[in-house]
Amino acid sequence: MLRGKVALVTGSSRGIGRAIALKLAKEGADIIINFFRRREAAEQTAEDIEKLGVTAKVIRANVGNPEKIDEMFDTILSSFGHLDILVNNAASGLPRSALDLDTKVWEWTMDINARALLLCAQRAVKLMEGRGGKIVAITSLGSSLVWPGYIAIGVSKATLEALTRYLAIELAPKNICVNAVGASLVPTEVGLAYARGGQLGDDSTWQTTPAGRMVSPEDIANVVAFLCSEEAFMIRGQTVIVDGGTSSAPFGFTHKGEGD
Amino acid sequence: MSTTEETIKDIVVKIVHCEREVLTPESTFQDMKADSLDMVQVLVALEDEFGIEIPDEDAQKFKNFSDFVTYVEARIAEKK
Repeated sequence: MLRGKVALVTGSSRGIGRAIALKLAKEGADIIINFFRRREAAEQTAEDIEKLGVTAKVIRANVGNPEKIDEMFDTILSSFGHLDILVNNAASGLPRSALDLDTKVWEWTMDINARALLLCAQRAVKLMEGRGGKIVAITSLGSSLVWPGYIAIGVSKATLEALTRYLAIELAPKNICVNAVGASLVPTEVGLAYARGGQLGDDSTWQTTPAGRMVSPEDIANVVAFLCSEEAFMIRGQTVIVDGGTSSAPFGFTHKGEGD
Repeated sequence: MSTTEETIKDIVVKIVHCEREVLTPESTFQDMKADSLDMVQVLVALEDEFGIEIPDEDAQKFKNFSDFVTYVEARIAEKK
């Protein structure tokens, strides 16, 4: 479905980004794996992707730094000459309450989680010129619901979703589809570190959804792949929520069989 | 004391806002009262300063300031 396409997935050494990179590779796309801190993990992801018979290229860049974003896109330009898909997945942040949130954490989180989409899109659009493309941002339910200690990331994700809408409209005439995928808590290394950081209570409070299990990285990757397909051509500026129903159940939920 | 060690101290003091005297070979990141963001920013500043890469896989093994300096010096030597 994506054979011959070139996709950049930011923050794809591990977790949700890795699952997205693998899924797009299975669909036939060549993949640029961007990482910042985990080289070994990024190289492992590249190795796993190449086994699928497509090209994988690893590029290190802190997407919170505009110069590093420019260097990454210069490398993409010289290596591939164009880009078809940008998945803005890289994210960072620290648990803080509103009253403890200092400018250092605020700026770090906003730069990596939100500004990076704007700067990556500005460069990506030039590589999509005349051929169209897909841009997908990865966000979380913490943008609209309040998660404990999640203020910096939650606000950055709300910004990311607003940016997604503005980009979707401005880039529509260029045949570029821009959307977001919003996840509830996903049990990746980062997700579990947040959940077990003492803010969410015991495991039973967050380890399930109305759908009966937690959302997996692959659940997110499947929706990203759909948004990158031509079948999703008329979806623009939307945030597709993948949460097993959690956000629709403000009073919690119990599992009961039919007829109970 | 090596120039590299002095430069590392300059960077740590600037980012973590700790007293220079806290930085002895045995001092840990807890002694410096550095949070995880401080640490990443120190690593990134060192990478830019010395033109090296310090992946998390390696950084996680540092127990104290001395391990840090030894590692950075080794990476600089590798580059030459």
